Amino acid sequence: MEHSGLAHIKDLLQQQAYVTEPSIVMSIFLAKQLKKPLLIEGPAGVGKTEIAKVMAKALETDLIRLQCYEGLDAPQALYEWNYQHQLLHLKMDEQTNSSLEEKEKNIFSDKFLLKRPLLQAITHHKAPVLLIDEIDRADEEFESFLLELLSDWQISIPEIGTIQATHIPQVIVTSNRVRELSEALRRRCLYLYISYPAFEKEVQIVQQKVPGIDDRLGQQICLFMQELRKMKLDKIPGVAETLDWAQALAALHIDHLDKEIVESTLGIVLKDWQDIRQTQLSLSELFEKVGAISKLDQL
Amino acid sequence: MAQKELIKRRTALSANIIGFCRFIRQKGFRIGPIEEVDALKAIEILQPYAAPQDFQLCMKTVLCRSLQQQRKFDELYRQYWTELEKAVDSKVVESEGDGQKSKNSGTQQPSFQALKSWLQGNTQAEKEEVATYSAFEAMGQKDFSSFSEDELTEVLQLIQMIARSLAFQFSRRQKKAKRSARLDLRRTLRLNLRRGGEIMDLAFQKPPRNKRKIVLLCDVSKSMDLYSQFLIQFIYAFQNAYRSIETFVFSTSLHRVSQQLKDKDYKEALTELSQSVPDWSGGTRIGESLTTFYKDYASKMLNRNTIVLILSDGWDTGNVDALKTSMNQIHSKAAKVIWLNPLAGNPAFEANVQGMKAAMPYIDIFASAHNAASLRKIASHLRKR
Repeated sequence: MEHSGLAHIKDLLQQQAYVTEPSIVMSIFLAKQLKKPLLIEGPAGVGKTEIAKVMAKALETDLIRLQCYEGLDAPQALYEWNYQHQLLHLKMDEQTNSSLEEKEKNIFSDKFLLKRPLLQAITHHKAPVLLIDEIDRADEEFESFLLELLSDWQISIPEIGTIQATHIPQVIVTSNRVRELSEALRRRCLYLYISYPAFEKEVQIVQQKVPGIDDRLGQQICLFMQELRKMKLDKIPGVAETLDWAQALAALHIDHLDKEIVESTLGIVLKDWQDIRQTQLSLSELFEKVGAISKLDQL
Repeated sequence: MAQKELIKRRTALSANIIGFCRFIRQKGFRIGPIEEVDALKAIEILQPYAAPQDFQLCMKTVLCRSLQQQRKFDELYRQYWTELEKAVDSKVVESEGDGQKSKNSGTQQPSFQALKSWLQGNTQAEKEEVATYSAFEAMGQKDFSSFSEDELTEVLQLIQMIARSLAFQFSRRQKKAKRSARLDLRRTLRLNLRRGGEIMDLAFQKPPRNKRKIVLLCDVSKSMDLYSQFLIQFIYAFQNAYRSIETFVFSTSLHRVSQQLKDKDYKEALTELSQSVPDWSGGTRIGESLTTFYKDYASKMLNRNTIVLILSDGWDTGNVDALKTSMNQIHSKAAKVIWLNPLAGNPAFEANVQGMKAAMPYIDIFASAHNAASLRKIASHLRKR
């Protein structure tokens, strides 16, 4: 336990090539220590999901992920019976003279139970990291169901009985703020908001994730992205887009940005036609800003 | 058990933390005993490493529950610790209801007169039901500005009906499902006939999910004051009748109020509203408000399944061009734009208010909503479609 101080968490994150901020470290630290779920909000593409992955690696445990979507309901997240398998088993079992009770017991056993993420998480051999991704996409009914699970840590299956959690997983819940989450869920969690990284941090991230990249190119890309985010775009590009772009440009062996390159690769960064057009129109303006600053850097 | 122990071992630091919790509770944070215990536990865990900024960050992480709170936190934190000497009252007497109480007394917005006075006026109206009077009664129909309890119930039913018909108008009764509690017997048998009747594959059905979403944009400016009672009823009833709905109110600026209305009783919802909408019955800037809506929420909320419902009289003192552009944008992204105008019930009404005129081309359904009869009309109209 003594090892799991703030510094330790920070080290772990750094080992996983995750560029952190103090608030992220603190949230992970406290979530772990207080055994509370961590609710992460922020715009798309700032690495919310990434935190769970890094955390699982850092804690040397497995990541179990539940992707939420509209219409997701409890059975899909918990368990299902493998009906076909059960049926075949019964067919093969017809010749033997085992009793009805035995047969029944047999077909409603673990072997035929299809574990879905939530059941997996609470019966895992080691406390895993359970990522409940984009909870705001699921309906409110599901949210309440989740609340119940998060406080009781048990699931009841009529044919088997109640299954108690062997370990309490470390839960991470992410939300894109499409729908406001209920107060009850908020109160049960620790809260972390991640926004787009500042310039220096983004440069660091690019350098970490795209090792071969030219220093100046990395900086230019990040500057460009920072300016891009200030524009009134429909879909503001996240860090994921920055990395895609950096990777693409690095693969093309480009060492600096110019207008042509940007124009031909803009589709990597912007995914909306209107956004692309708007950016193309103000490209020289953008370049003035980016160019002016990078010239200053060289002085 | 551990919680009790922690509270018992109260040191100067933990007393101050409790004091701080009480302080920010007055500032509108929902802090209960659970949060306080968490804060104390967190500090205990942190102690050996605590640099001042870590300490602050730690409290922030434990006590904040939303982005808005996080933004406020640092300033409050600074205030508290610099004025710690004044905050002597650090008795640990807690009860669950405490937060609610101090919240109500602490942060009442003075600019919310209209709603407040209505709230008071309403209770009177209930008592003097017989003596209600309305300028519109001369027209032979009672206006919403004066309706009785009975009518209120009817109005609520109508609103629910509208909500329902909006929800179901495009869907069938049952649909195929991957897996659900209900077997589709007919399809199951048909599916398995080719296997000689051995039931291998199961077919399921479930009621279609209501995928329609509603965005309700409600004008609460001064010119709508006459209808505020109806508006509040409408918003409230709609919010609770319909599951996937986002509610915004606007006068000079836009406010998202979905959360304040959800799962609350009527009075509670009103208090919540009063605290979050500072410019109730202010001026009207429909254009600007809709532009804000489009900019901040449209990409997330609007799609081909969303119905935008606007409740406004169209009296706009703001930018008409902005109204036009934003209406166009909203119209192109949403499934349907419905505009309910309380003034449209007046025979003398013509859509020649500047704002209304600008918005007209982008409206799919335009209807009056000034009394129960007009609501009934909307409901039946929607059912037919």
